Amino acid sequence: MPAPGLDQAAGWGLVSLAGFLFTYYSIWVIVLPFVEPDQVIHHFFLPRIYAIAGPLLAGVTALALISVFVLYVTFTPKKSKQS
Amino acid sequence: MTVPKLFQWLAGVCSFMTVWLAYVVGYFSVNLRKEYHEIIVVLPLYLLISFACYSLAVIGYRVATFNNCEEASIELKQEIEAARKDLEKKNYKFISDWK
Repeated sequence: MPAPGLDQAAGWGLVSLAGFLFTYYSIWVIVLPFVEPDQVIHHFFLPRIYAIAGPLLAGVTALALISVFVLYVTFTPKKSKQS
Repeated sequence: MTVPKLFQWLAGVCSFMTVWLAYVVGYFSVNLRKEYHEIIVVLPLYLLISFACYSLAVIGYRVATFNNCEEASIELKQEIEAARKDLEKKNYKFISDWK
């Protein structure tokens, strides 16, 4: 029995998002340096410094959110009070 | 003795990083075109991002192709019902009213 329709849509959406991100980033980092600066294709891509700043900022934000979550879960008492 | 996957990965990553660091620090003098130099400097971040994209794609694919099993779900619900009745008979106190 195949997966439910919503699950399939979400799954394939994730796959296409991953594919798009990979292609965009690859072209940005690997292909663009070899393209002359006056070509039109450069208009589709941000200035190259964002190729490093973007993922770095995303990684830092992800780490910050994860640590906030871990600390919150550790220090909020549920049923057992910390004695 | 087969080497665990983790150690294989660590070995690969460490050898790559040594070569890359040696190039970036300027340990050996190589005259590359400006474009190649630009690409090599960003290479570890690029590999990390592509690995993240690959993981995301695999997760999405597994979610999309994970088969539903209606009969197993119905059978499981029946078994839970039977177990609940049996335990109620023996005066077991349930925390939740989950049906």
